[in-house]
Amino acid sequence: MRETIFIFGVNHRQTPVAIRERLAYADGEIVAALARLKQAAPAIHEVALISTCNRVEIMGVTGASDLAQHQATAFLAGDRGVDSASFASSLYRHEARAAVRHLFRVGASLDSMVVGEPQILGQLKNAYAQAAEAGTAGLVLHRAFHRAFSVAKRVRNATLIGHGSVSVSAAAVGLAGKIFDSLADKTVLLIGAGQMAELTARNLKRLGIQSLLITSRTFDNAVALARKLDGTAVPFDGFQPYLKLADIVIGSLAASRPVIGPDEFEGVIRERRYRPVLMIDLGVPRNFDERLNSMENVYLYDIDDLSAVVQESIGDREREAEKAESIVNLEVEAFLKWLDGLDLVPAIRDIRTSVEQLRELELERHRAWLMSLAPGERERIESLTRGLVNKLLHRILSGIRDGRADGSDGVYAAEIARRLLSAELASDHGGSVNLDRETFDDFAIGDHPDEDDEP
Amino acid sequence: MNAYWLALALLCYALSAAGFATERAGLRGRLSRSASLLLGAGAALQSGDLLMRGVEAGNVPVTDFGQALVFLAWLTAIAGLVLIVRFRMPVIGVYVAPIVIVALGIGAATMSHARLAMPQSLRSAWLPVHVTFALLGFALFGLAAIVSLVYLVYERRLKAKLPLLPADGRTPSLEKLDRINYRLLAWGFLMLSLAIVTGALWADATWGHFWSWEPAESWTLLIWFLYAGLLESRLAVGWRGRRAATLTIAVFTVLVGSFVGVSLLATGKHGGNFG
Repeated sequence: MRETIFIFGVNHRQTPVAIRERLAYADGEIVAALARLKQAAPAIHEVALISTCNRVEIMGVTGASDLAQHQATAFLAGDRGVDSASFASSLYRHEARAAVRHLFRVGASLDSMVVGEPQILGQLKNAYAQAAEAGTAGLVLHRAFHRAFSVAKRVRNATLIGHGSVSVSAAAVGLAGKIFDSLADKTVLLIGAGQMAELTARNLKRLGIQSLLITSRTFDNAVALARKLDGTAVPFDGFQPYLKLADIVIGSLAASRPVIGPDEFEGVIRERRYRPVLMIDLGVPRNFDERLNSMENVYLYDIDDLSAVVQESIGDREREAEKAESIVNLEVEAFLKWLDGLDLVPAIRDIRTSVEQLRELELERHRAWLMSLAPGERERIESLTRGLVNKLLHRILSGIRDGRADGSDGVYAAEIARRLLSAELASDHGGSVNLDRETFDDFAIGDHPDEDDEP
Repeated sequence: MNAYWLALALLCYALSAAGFATERAGLRGRLSRSASLLLGAGAALQSGDLLMRGVEAGNVPVTDFGQALVFLAWLTAIAGLVLIVRFRMPVIGVYVAPIVIVALGIGAATMSHARLAMPQSLRSAWLPVHVTFALLGFALFGLAAIVSLVYLVYERRLKAKLPLLPADGRTPSLEKLDRINYRLLAWGFLMLSLAIVTGALWADATWGHFWSWEPAESWTLLIWFLYAGLLESRLAVGWRGRRAATLTIAVFTVLVGSFVGVSLLATGKHGGNFG
């Protein structure tokens, strides 16, 4: 039975997190789990386990995919203590081309919840490293994973799939990068200690913001957040003097009217000597008067503007994903070609050896006569036999390969040719060539009489 | 022979411009590297041309308006390349390359190809110094205007909540554009001042007076004051960003107008073909 590559599992599309979380493996458990899986599912020859928050997938190589799925599902249910009925309906299974394509798409972040997010590649590398450590990755999986990594890299280089901001806080941080060159010498003022403001401030700190001022109606909240983020709390009644220090102002107050308007801000801008200010308004109702945006060197973005940036990026990524899909498809074909060739490799090698041995045997038998010839003639006979053998080999091998491309089973043809020729070799010791009619007809299956001989 | 060098240089610049424009339009990414290389190749070819014509003339070849434009195109290409590569602002190339093409194209078409007889009055060690300072100042002010233009485009798009181009996230920040604008202005101002000083010393050595109030000199003085005012407004008042960018472009427009006007219309030591 022919070996095939398969992948099956659950992901964020069909399976709710309540089930995914019960199936998921922690990082440290995977190597041991792979060893157990290998024991519990003898139909699977090579195997890797991919477990992230969005997917739990088993990828492997098997000769009997139905049996393999059955064994692996039973293993997963038993190993995780989950009733297999709860996830069996949302389980997907891909084989051969579809499986390779799935793996490449996952690696290139095309199957992610947020298309283009970069973490998945690291997670996939981790899954591969664990399969390698457990010794459950063989020739096919090694190659498949390495190809998946290089496809991911190619996609990242050739498309803009990872560009743009896909969350509101990332959009805010992205804007800061478009206005300011370095964040290290900038000051951020948080007006209101909301969750979104905290997330944005965290992201800004990660990019180098040193100075962080926090004010809130409830002073204790400001102090608590300041302690968490290593900032400074300032009283809400007197935050106005701090405005001129702030290069980035983030508002997230629950206020019925704007807390900053253009009139009082005019003086602030002049005091700042027209250094640019980014104002991010996360509040609904809005915290900052929208007229601020038309002031010199003031850039005001409210929650809708940021959402629009996010939508735009998501749209861009989806467009880029189409380019990525065509890269993936090309790579899948290249991989399948390798995989197909892989099946034929041992048979082709055997056929070559057999035929070459046959030739040498024949020459050996006539050695005495050959030695009596002049060296030039001996060489001609040598090259004549070699030419004959090569012609014959070429017919057989290209017949096998073409048979493959036509969809008929080249492996089968190769196997017949291999057996035929080694049998012939064995019987040749008796001194006679013995091909019966039936096997000769079998052998002719893969042969194409109309093909052109190449030198 | 020379014509081939310049034609090849023009071709390089044209391909470079196409590369920058294509990347900017988002049609294909990662072209700015090749486009920068082509810009460099164009400048290298022009260097060969300038060297040959310089050897022929026995001095920097800037005897007429066309030649001065060719020399200016070369300086702009090199200074632009520094901005693009060293300061990582490929977006500048979108503007620099076409401007270099226009300057070189007009210059090469109008300059005299006859064997250059350098007037006796110009055969001086002051010539290369004075002209290089003057034209380098011009090139730096031109780049400052380009940087300002990019600033204004980006600023407008940010205020209008539109994405910046090229869309690959490698666009320079407003702060960086503003800072580089200032640095270009400062260096340009230094070059302009040195051009004025060396010109005066040269005039004194040749004609016995520092200053003769001919059109080029008067205009240059006006422009010097305009740039001085521009730098002053930034340093003392703190004008920056949009205001500084708009003024940079406005003053540069005056500079271009006076350069073209003086060179083509006016007479005097700087005008016409120095007859």
